[in-house]
Amino acid sequence: MGDKELKPCKPKLIKRIRLNGGHEGLNENFSRACRSRGEGNLEERRSFHNGRRGGSLRKIVVTTRVSILLLCSLSAFVLRFSASELSPDDVVALVAPMAQSRSAGDACKGGTAEFPAGLRVLVVDDDATTLRIIEQMSIRCRYRVTTCTEATVALNLLRERKGCFDVVLSDVHMPDMDGYKLLEHVGLEMDLPVIMMSGDSTTSAVMKGIRHGACDYLIKPVREEELRNIWQHVVRKIWNENKEHDNSGSLEDSDWNKRGNDDTEYTSSVADAAEVVKAPKKRSSLKEEDIELESDDPATSKKPRVVWSVELHQQFVSAVNQLGLDKAVPKRILELMNVPGLTRENVASHLQGWLMRLPVVNEKFRLYLKRLSGVAQQQNGMLNAVPGTIESKLSATGRYDIQALAAAGHVPPETLAALHAELLGRPATSIMSTADQATLLQASIGLKHSHAEHAVAYGQPFVKCPSNIGKDFPPSFLTANDVSSGYGAWPSSNNTMGSVRPNNSDERVGTQYNNMLMDILDHQQRQQPQQKQQQHQQLKQQQQPLVHDQSCSINVQPSCLVIPSQSCDTLQAVNGSASVNQNCSFGMNAIIDYSLLSQKSNNSVSASQFSGGDTKTQAVLYAHTTPSTCSMSSINGSIPQLQNSTLTFGGARPLFSPLPMSDRQDPYGLKSGDSLDQVCLRNIGFIGKGTCIPNRFVQNEIESSVSDFSQMKVNVDSTGNTLKEEPNFINMQKVSRRPIFGRYQSCDHSSVFTE
Amino acid sequence: MLGFGADLLWADMNRLLAFLFHQGVLDEQFLQLQQLQDEASPNFVSEVVNIYFHESEKLLNNLRGLLMERELSDYKKMGIHLNQFMGSSSSIGAKRVTNICVAFRAATDQSNRAGCLRALEMLEHEYCYLKNKLHELFQIEQQRALVAGVRYPVQNQ
Repeated sequence: MGDKELKPCKPKLIKRIRLNGGHEGLNENFSRACRSRGEGNLEERRSFHNGRRGGSLRKIVVTTRVSILLLCSLSAFVLRFSASELSPDDVVALVAPMAQSRSAGDACKGGTAEFPAGLRVLVVDDDATTLRIIEQMSIRCRYRVTTCTEATVALNLLRERKGCFDVVLSDVHMPDMDGYKLLEHVGLEMDLPVIMMSGDSTTSAVMKGIRHGACDYLIKPVREEELRNIWQHVVRKIWNENKEHDNSGSLEDSDWNKRGNDDTEYTSSVADAAEVVKAPKKRSSLKEEDIELESDDPATSKKPRVVWSVELHQQFVSAVNQLGLDKAVPKRILELMNVPGLTRENVASHLQGWLMRLPVVNEKFRLYLKRLSGVAQQQNGMLNAVPGTIESKLSATGRYDIQALAAAGHVPPETLAALHAELLGRPATSIMSTADQATLLQASIGLKHSHAEHAVAYGQPFVKCPSNIGKDFPPSFLTANDVSSGYGAWPSSNNTMGSVRPNNSDERVGTQYNNMLMDILDHQQRQQPQQKQQQHQQLKQQQQPLVHDQSCSINVQPSCLVIPSQSCDTLQAVNGSASVNQNCSFGMNAIIDYSLLSQKSNNSVSASQFSGGDTKTQAVLYAHTTPSTCSMSSINGSIPQLQNSTLTFGGARPLFSPLPMSDRQDPYGLKSGDSLDQVCLRNIGFIGKGTCIPNRFVQNEIESSVSDFSQMKVNVDSTGNTLKEEPNFINMQKVSRRPIFGRYQSCDHSSVFTE
Repeated sequence: MLGFGADLLWADMNRLLAFLFHQGVLDEQFLQLQQLQDEASPNFVSEVVNIYFHESEKLLNNLRGLLMERELSDYKKMGIHLNQFMGSSSSIGAKRVTNICVAFRAATDQSNRAGCLRALEMLEHEYCYLKNKLHELFQIEQQRALVAGVRYPVQNQ
């Protein structure tokens, strides 16, 4: 085996691992590495290894240079090394995702050039042309892209390979399923960031996208630069969720461990929470959902997890609502929920976490903390003093709140009411009650559940969305929003609104909530003629507090829905890889994977985690060498197939032979038998389908009809008021005359000659 | 004299491209396509354009079929086809075609049959023109590559 002795390593660094075939070595080394790294979750890693049987894992040298990032929760296959610890013959294992994503934040923060590479993108578009183009762009961005022409297929793929994708790009208009529906499904089930694409650039369309929870909305034609930026949505999501999870399961944070053992930590008392929050100055948040469902002894050193599924959370929320804000104590909630195995501590921590995410209550909470800690409330000092994730969590969403509140110190109900009345033209009376509550909250610091009360006042509308939209929703929702809007309108130096928009990606799970919210907002806005619908980019403007509320209200979604599923995903991903390898059952021909990690080095092969597959179109390795060296470590017995069919892709010297082209055709849904022929033809060169008309005549014709066209266009314009905005083309003036075809080769015989 | 042919062809190509840009047949997105072509995918542009033509033929046929129906034309469906056509055309940078699609779309939104018919005609014209021009472009490129390749077999293009 000859593996090297692993030096004890510092946290967050992974040691090099030597893999010389045989997965025993892999396993052993890997476990050793993990242990030395101080990672606690060997379970996940082992299960990953168990899945990687079969292939001889060749020596894989990803790079001998430094800084490949570990993207734990991205489930990417890169590791971070320090330069000094690598030597040329070191072998790097491309490892499975870890549940712990502590270092992901640090790693991601580094922002080295390698980071977005390896991002696993799923592109769904019924238009074959666009699909191919985006695919190519993604390859250029060094993403690992999978393409799909049908939304249903994409959904199945996502379901089957949970945790195998980082981001989904979807067209809006698709024949089999609306892009928004897909968006909702993905948001609910997999909680991946979804980016919509469309040629429709109208504000309402973009708004609809946001409403449904899209992280971003790209307007076709999509440019490569836009694609290069999509990783931000993934990172943002991970960061925000990591901060919730950071404390759980972490062996590094021994402080947390000790604290976690204490039963009193899991009460929902504000004082306790404050203490917990205050003390460790790390970027970790309150512990929550740390307790195993089965275990009824919370004071254990381990921190098992409670999975707050959608259903469970809804139960929780309905229990809270039922009890009423002032009575929503964990004990009662627990009783109401009546979930076997759930402990009061589970509920308490969940309640805490849930409340922490509500911007206004966060604000109150922090004010309270301020008072406790005796730190003077400076406008900026507030942000700095409270450590950990509350701050960063709030940074985008709540900052405007904080600053506003901090500026005022305390929200006078009259001001709120006045602002609200001014902005929305609503009677201020409804606001008074909420503002009074706000006052009460601030005053009643010692109250155990004051924050809960206040929180639920704001949280309630969102929570109640599905059931009570008809009755309770509008008033309470309005109040929450109105208050927020009041905050938003105040300080002129408020420059944090701009950051609100990106947070749309944070809590995406409550897309149904979002829909309800947006419907209500729409309703509101319709009644307010002075409020215009804005594109989400314009949320940065202060003059649109309502729209701003939209974004912040989106952020208010209970993201605890998100957290467990995320951790589940990462856990599942590791397990999932095992299962995928064993029983990957997709018969879809429409999927092709590209893995792009190693582009330069000769022998580099990126082992695809999810590359189990019995169809040859699955799990492509982006091999740079001849097909024979391509090894898919995690494929059972399908290597020959893959070698034949897929390895002529990519940067290999081999030409584009017809065979992989036929595979490639499949994603476009062309099932016609002649597709292969056409494909072959295409490779030979551009064989047109015959010219329609001789050029000259066509030109004349076109020129004569151009005037008609413009005429017609004018007609349509004058009569039609539903002309969509054109896609954003760049004018001719910007086109520079330069040798354009430098690299342009349109036929294969050229490569015959050049090679 | 040996290099002359290739250079002439190159000049032809560029001239044609410039002409197309100037006319508004193509736009900057086409340049993006060309930039996406590299050693890893040397035939990318022609590949994409082929896909585009293939799909567009289908779309155009569908559109014509829908519009020629005796009974009430399904404008909604036409709109869906047009969406796709618009998307793909804009993706490859076929500006004029896209513009006509936009107008066509507007006509379908109003169920304006006459307008749709006119738009369809224009669309087919523009599409044909585009196709011809792109054919021409690719032919020149092929010739150029041939000519260049024959003389410099080891040259890495």
